[in-house]
Amino acid sequence: MTQGMIQGGWEYVWAAYSVSWLMIVCYIFLHYWRGRHG
Amino acid sequence: MSEKQIAGIIMLVLLVVLTFRLSKLKTTASKDQLVIGGLGLLLMLAGHYIGLFVAPKEAMMGDVGRILYVHVPTAWTALVTFLLAFVVAIASLWTGKRHWDAGLIAAVEVGVLFSVMLTLQGSIWAKPTWNTWWTWDPRLTTTAIMVLSFAGLLILRKVMGPSKRAAVFMAVGTIIAFTNVPIVYFSVKWWNTLHQNFSSTDTISSPMVLPLRLAAFGMLFLMCGLVLARARQSLKQLEFQDHAPDLPPESKPLELEKHTGESQ
Repeated sequence: MTQGMIQGGWEYVWAAYSVSWLMIVCYIFLHYWRGRHG
Repeated sequence: MSEKQIAGIIMLVLLVVLTFRLSKLKTTASKDQLVIGGLGLLLMLAGHYIGLFVAPKEAMMGDVGRILYVHVPTAWTALVTFLLAFVVAIASLWTGKRHWDAGLIAAVEVGVLFSVMLTLQGSIWAKPTWNTWWTWDPRLTTTAIMVLSFAGLLILRKVMGPSKRAAVFMAVGTIIAFTNVPIVYFSVKWWNTLHQNFSSTDTISSPMVLPLRLAAFGMLFLMCGLVLARARQSLKQLEFQDHAPDLPPESKPLELEKHTGESQ
């Protein structure tokens, strides 16, 4: 790979961060849901 | 003492404190999980903000290189969580106590969460840099084995229920599955293929250190909070199942009426 070969690519950055935060939020929600419904 | 050594000591102290908290686990609600987890989320948010909007672009990959601030901390946290699961599995086998079993379920579950996250982030990063979503590179292959083995353990544990046998099975399974974790870590050094070598604060330029460190500690704190919360919940479930009324005895299988042989 040469310097600056990949132009743009913010869509991949947002995808990676969104997936990660979404999974964390969903897991925390699942924890509270399990606490209420056993 | 270097900054890196201090970071290492903080991580080690955090893990020792977490293991100690698990050894004294009670089902009563405690604020520690909320404080640690909340602090983790705040640190992560700060690290990601600086990584996305303040830190400079990576020289080779440009903006795509910003995935580093979420991918590398997730990888470290996933491996550390499985290390914690390994230690807790030994304690569970050694003592046979229920709270260690609950801690083990929590550590494996949170480890699976982070390793699935890691695989998805890696796949998203691979597309623009390697032009493929997935390839059978040694790092990727060993990571896939790690995710599947621990996820499989969780599923089997769910099927087996709360028995003592299930607790022993889970602990032994975790110890066996953990043998792959050092292979995951060293795979990039041993095989030196497509996946880049170890990333650490030594291998990146100085403006990238702060967001990486903040995100890494944030994720580590979050992991501690999630493990504590899940372990308490697991312990409550296990104790509830212990005191649940026994199921009614199995009914006898239907038998055919004995034929006496007398004709009517």
